[in-house]
Amino acid sequence: MSSVSREQLRALMGEVLATGGKALPDDDGALLADIGFRSLDFSELALRVEDEIDAELNFEAAGLRQITTIADVLDLLTEIQDQ
Amino acid sequence: MSESSPELTPVPPATVVLISGASRGLGLAMVTDLLGRGLKVAAFARTVTPELDALAAAYPATSHFGSVDITDDSACQAFVKEVEAKLGVIDALVNNAAIGQDSLHVHTPADRIEQIIATNLTAPLVLTRFWLRRLLGKGRRGRLVNITSICGQRGYPGLVAYSATKAGLDGATRSIAREFSGRVVANAVAPGFFASEMSAVLGQTQLDAILRRTPSGRLTTPEEVVPVVRMLLLEETNINGQAIVIDGAGSI
Repeated sequence: MSSVSREQLRALMGEVLATGGKALPDDDGALLADIGFRSLDFSELALRVEDEIDAELNFEAAGLRQITTIADVLDLLTEIQDQ
Repeated sequence: MSESSPELTPVPPATVVLISGASRGLGLAMVTDLLGRGLKVAAFARTVTPELDALAAAYPATSHFGSVDITDDSACQAFVKEVEAKLGVIDALVNNAAIGQDSLHVHTPADRIEQIIATNLTAPLVLTRFWLRRLLGKGRRGRLVNITSICGQRGYPGLVAYSATKAGLDGATRSIAREFSGRVVANAVAPGFFASEMSAVLGQTQLDAILRRTPSGRLTTPEEVVPVVRMLLLEETNINGQAIVIDGAGSI
C-alpha cells in the first residue's frame, strides 16, 4: 500500500482549506480554530488521503485524542496510514 | 477542532442527479421532469423499462441508466463511477427505490422483514455513504432527497416493517442535515398513498377510509410529488432536515 508523506498531507490540507477560501499558514503549531479548519474539512482531507492510498483509513486505531493544531492533523493522518 | 459556524453560502442547485428505483411511478416521473429541465440525470432500477430506454434515446448526452439491484453494494458503487465518468460528479442523490409490504406483522416471515429493511433502509444508507464520500472527497457540496412515506409518521395495518424503514430514513435525513452542515442539504419527501402499485397493498375498504379522511378527496399522484422534489433539488430555500408530507391533509 502506498502512503502519503507528511509534505503531501500538508499540500492536501492546503487544497482543502483553499476550496473554502482559506489559507494554510506555515506554522504547524497554528490552531485549527484560528484558521477555520472544521471537522468536515478534516473528513474531506481524510477522504483525499484514502483516495491517494486506495484504502479506507482506520480511525478506530487512532484512539481518542485532542486535535487542535495543524501538526496534530498531520501526525494523526501519518500515524493511521501505517495501521 | 473548530465547530464555530462561519457565514455559510447556500448549497448550489443540483446539476447531476442520481435517482434510485426509476423504472416506473414516481421515480420515472422525476427522471422525466429533471431531464426535461436540462439537468443531467442518472438512474438505476432492477429492470430498465422501455420508458427509460426511450428517455435514454431522447437525451443521449445527459442521461445514464442501468440495471442495478440496490442491495448489491459493489454494483451500486460501480454504477456511481460510471455516472461520474459520463456526466460528472453527482451533486444530488434521490433515494427512491423501495419495496412494499402487504402482510400483517404476525404473518410476515423474518426473512421478508430483513429483506424490506435491507432494501428500504440499509441500501439507501450505504449508497448515501458512498455518494457523500465521493462528494466530500472532491470538496463539493450537494443535495439529498429521501423519498419516504406518510407511513413513517402515522400507523397503518399491514405495513409494520415498511413503516419502520421509512421512519428510519426520516431520522437519518435529520442527522445528515446536521452532520453535513454547510456541505449537504438533506430533506425527505413523505407522500401519502399513491393510487398505484404501492397502494395495491391496501384493500378497497382501507382506501375508502383514507379517502373519506382526506380533505382534498383524492389520493396523491406522482405528478403532485415531482414539483416538491424539484424545488428541494433546484431552488434556494432554507428547508433542511425536514420530512415534507404530501397527502392532501389526509393525516392531519
